Amino acid sequence: MKNLTPKKRRWARARIAFLGTLLLCFAGAVGHRAYVLQIERAPALREMAEEQYLRQVRLAPKRGTIYDRHGAELAVSVDVDSVWANPRRMKEEGVDPAAAAMQLSALLGVDRARIQRRLESDRLFVWIKRRLTPRMAERVRALGIEGVHLDRESRRYYPNRRLASHLLGFANIDGQGIEGLELAFEETLRGSSRAVPAIRDRRGRVVYSEQLLDDRAAQGDDLVLTIDKTLQHIAERELELAIRTYEAQAGSVVMMDPRTGELLAVANYPTFDANDPGDSPASHRRNRAFTDRFEPGSTVKPFTVASALAQGTVGSQQLIDCEDGAMEVAEYTIHDTTPYDELTPAQILAFSSNIGTAKIGDTLGRRGLYRAFRRFGFGEVTGIPSPGEAAGSLRHHSRWYEMDAATISFGQGMSATALQLATAMGALANGGRLMHPRLVRRVQTHDGEVVEEYLPEARRQVVPPRVARLVADMLTAVTGPGGTGQPAAIDGFLVAGKTGTAQKADYVAGGYAEDRWLASFVGFVPAQSPRIVMAVVVDEPVVAHYGGTVAGPVFRRVGEAALRHLGVPAQGGGEALDRFAREQRRRRRANERAERLAERDASNDEPEPAVTLTVPPGSVQVPDLGGRTARSALVAAHEAGLAVQLEGTGLVVSQDPPAGEVAQRGSRLRVILREDRADVALEGAPRLAATDDSGRMEDGS
Amino acid sequence: MRALLARFVPALAPTDRPKVTGPADPVMTACVVALVAFGVVMVFSASAVFADSRYDDPFHFFIRQSVFALAGLGVCFTVARFDYHGYRRWTYPALAVAVVLLLMVVLGLGRAAGGAARWIAVGPINIQPAEAAKLALILWLAYSLSKKADQIRSFEIGFLPHALVAGMLMLLCLKQPDFGSAVMMGVLTFTLLFTAGARLGYLLGALAIAAPIAFAVVRFSGYRMDRIRAWLEPFEHRYGIGYQIAESLMSFGAGGATGVGIGDSRQKLLFLPEAHTDFISAIVGEELGFVGIALLLLAYVLLVFRGLRAAHQAADDYGAYLAIGITVFLGMQAFTNLAVAMGMLPTKGLVLPFMSYGGSSLLVNCAAVGILLNVSRPREVEELTEEAEAADAKNVPRKTREKRAKKTKDGSRGATRGRRKKRMNMRLEGAE
Repeated sequence: MKNLTPKKRRWARARIAFLGTLLLCFAGAVGHRAYVLQIERAPALREMAEEQYLRQVRLAPKRGTIYDRHGAELAVSVDVDSVWANPRRMKEEGVDPAAAAMQLSALLGVDRARIQRRLESDRLFVWIKRRLTPRMAERVRALGIEGVHLDRESRRYYPNRRLASHLLGFANIDGQGIEGLELAFEETLRGSSRAVPAIRDRRGRVVYSEQLLDDRAAQGDDLVLTIDKTLQHIAERELELAIRTYEAQAGSVVMMDPRTGELLAVANYPTFDANDPGDSPASHRRNRAFTDRFEPGSTVKPFTVASALAQGTVGSQQLIDCEDGAMEVAEYTIHDTTPYDELTPAQILAFSSNIGTAKIGDTLGRRGLYRAFRRFGFGEVTGIPSPGEAAGSLRHHSRWYEMDAATISFGQGMSATALQLATAMGALANGGRLMHPRLVRRVQTHDGEVVEEYLPEARRQVVPPRVARLVADMLTAVTGPGGTGQPAAIDGFLVAGKTGTAQKADYVAGGYAEDRWLASFVGFVPAQSPRIVMAVVVDEPVVAHYGGTVAGPVFRRVGEAALRHLGVPAQGGGEALDRFAREQRRRRRANERAERLAERDASNDEPEPAVTLTVPPGSVQVPDLGGRTARSALVAAHEAGLAVQLEGTGLVVSQDPPAGEVAQRGSRLRVILREDRADVALEGAPRLAATDDSGRMEDGS
Repeated sequence: MRALLARFVPALAPTDRPKVTGPADPVMTACVVALVAFGVVMVFSASAVFADSRYDDPFHFFIRQSVFALAGLGVCFTVARFDYHGYRRWTYPALAVAVVLLLMVVLGLGRAAGGAARWIAVGPINIQPAEAAKLALILWLAYSLSKKADQIRSFEIGFLPHALVAGMLMLLCLKQPDFGSAVMMGVLTFTLLFTAGARLGYLLGALAIAAPIAFAVVRFSGYRMDRIRAWLEPFEHRYGIGYQIAESLMSFGAGGATGVGIGDSRQKLLFLPEAHTDFISAIVGEELGFVGIALLLLAYVLLVFRGLRAAHQAADDYGAYLAIGITVFLGMQAFTNLAVAMGMLPTKGLVLPFMSYGGSSLLVNCAAVGILLNVSRPREVEELTEEAEAADAKNVPRKTREKRAKKTKDGSRGATRGRRKKRMNMRLEGAE
């Protein structure tokens, strides 16, 4: 402005200053307004803003994985794509809804008209299809339709589909456990379940900042089961085969490690795909082994006999009059399938005499029989972490009818679950010690840190070890020549067990149905040092109905495969069995001596106090690795939680510390292996190595 | 061709330009660079969610704004290198181009966006003629006002032509419809006439005529009336016409004194429409709080202050008018945008200069500030003296005054040369 005259310049400058003042006033007003909004009215405005984006949202952190005992995944959560569209945007971009619907429909298998209707709506957000397979998602992405988007959502996925589906249960579309372990361990698997304030965008979708994820969303813990995927698979396969063969309605198999109470397999039929639970009726989704109770029939006879032997009310060689096949109790008559004159307890079990068992049960008295069954775990839940476990029914002895005392001793007039039977039989296999059945070994964080470990836990010493072994010996006769359970015999192993063929109660007509049966077999193998105890129950077989015929083969096939899988060497037939028979006789004689001694000071004849196996926390019981292969020894030691130092090759001949000792978890177990089979003779019966893949031993004779 | 150009584009002798003796205002330069850079950051923060939901690419707007920012700063510093006196010859061509572009838009050759056709596609880029027209108007007003000098106080020479040209441009803007630009042009014309010394009576008279027209335009246009009502009672119409302003107010409130932290805005989760364009200040308010808004405001106040200082110290009245026009242009945009976002004024489609997403306005604003930077450069000019003032007081004809001035400047030596040059200038300018 230097070209203006000073006077004009002054005026111009004054006007500029005036203008500047005006602009400054404007700026000042804006600043004041900012102060009012951001300081004075901030709390009210902030509250309004938060109202629209804060939502109490139950955080859905990634659900924990369920593993089998060897770490195979049984249930996993994976992020999958869901496809949605923004119809308004599609309209703006000029996408033809009909053409888009056609493409999407062909790809996703959703009704074309329905997609088109959604795409033609005037909305900002519509679902097209949720939870796509990765292939589908890739193809949708490849289509590249404007306004069609993919979002990540978490989906529960059961990679083995039907396998163990009853145990695992399933989670719904929002990742919430609905059945089975998914329900029982809901809190553990879901992780932090607190409702936290989350932020949503205008479409109502929840948006997390990373910080929020770090702070709040704990990943769910993983579950390691006791189930062995391989054994589970075998059990399910064989059960289904048997049910199809005998045209049965349903069935269950429960396999357990008698020493620890760990369930190795729990199979049910009919079954369902946990990925698609809605596709099957509810009856298919029931975990029958835990929830269905039935009258067990003859399979409980060993418990009656064992209790009587333990109480000393019956001697092991005592002859019992079986009344030639018919005995009157109250106004009813009890029959045996085959009339017998006099039988020893062992023969009563082998021939499954109802009359003999009733008489043995009678020696215990009503109260004694009731308490004996309670001690074996009948009439109460085992406490397995599975929803809806049935307790079975065992009425109190004061409310028994006259008939009940006799029938309950051979398994009619009471009910039990397959799990209870397996657990009770496990007590006989485990030296009389009843274990808690376990389904979960441990809970661990997603990076493997152990949160909680479930250790073997004994419930009580039901019968003295001596009696348990004696009854186990008796039960081997069941699968021996002439026994009812011969089809359950496994080549090369001694199988102890008991068949059961129970008429089913007819709830409509009353009494028992003539043509509906429940065939069962409960047993363990190898009889001398049991590795597995198994209950097989087949409901309403049509083609045949004897427990031995229907359930026995399932036991044999599953047991055979399981022993092979567990690496249990066959004990041999022929000479080895002869030797074992001698050992059995020796034990029987020793038992008779013990009984005579017991009779002599009858005043001292108190039942052995209940013993609970307590392993101090952080310690484990050293497993017996004798005769195992290196690999199997490693697996067993690892399962027990011990580090192994292997020396030599071949089979295990000695170990330090010896089996049964209590050792610190993680401590070293020295194992010596040797090739020479002649040396593989440990105490008791000689063990022969499996000689081929089938696991059958070569018969020496 | 050259002859044709010479006919319409009067050339000025380079010697006529005062010699530049120093660099452009560093404070202003710093302000502009800081605002542009901050704008890129805030555009990214405000647009990422929207861009992700709309284009599946959170960087969609960020990348584009980064390119615009680099281009804008390039334009700014390039323009700043050209002496502003050179624009005098481009005044009429620029005005003509602006009118043609505005006419094209009005005649429906433009591209509609947000209910108003304000854009014209030139190849791959969209330009907003109203933005360029404002700059053209400033150039023309500065040129015309400095030329008319003393006659500015007259009605038919000083006032009417300016009012007519501005009125025509405003009318074209209103037809688009772009009420905001029309008002802005009115404000610019008003301000420049006032600074140049037009009679206050005429100005107030024009205001008295324009105000009822503006009122009628607003009153009888449904959407404008809606905007007024939304502005008066934003929370009454929270889920309707007042949605945007209510969301904006909540953004400012949620920010509080120090803000929720950069990048952590919740309102940008699709709640606040136009978060990265017209309402970017709301996101600044939410993420950086009152402190952020105060600093932002301070940057614009500093820019305005330095702009007016440049006008104050400009070598000549042409430069001063240019500086004032551009300063008011930028300052009014900034303050109005902030006022709109805070609910002090009804919604107008005004951007926050240098900050809001958009290439067209950023380039125009950068070009404008480039001119301003050039004006701010100190120049070697001798001031008119008291003697000249005395001559002026006696109402000496302008030619004589000029002669005297030259005489004082050049001394005895340059008297004849000065006269000759002045004649040449007059011939070349050839308007009177």
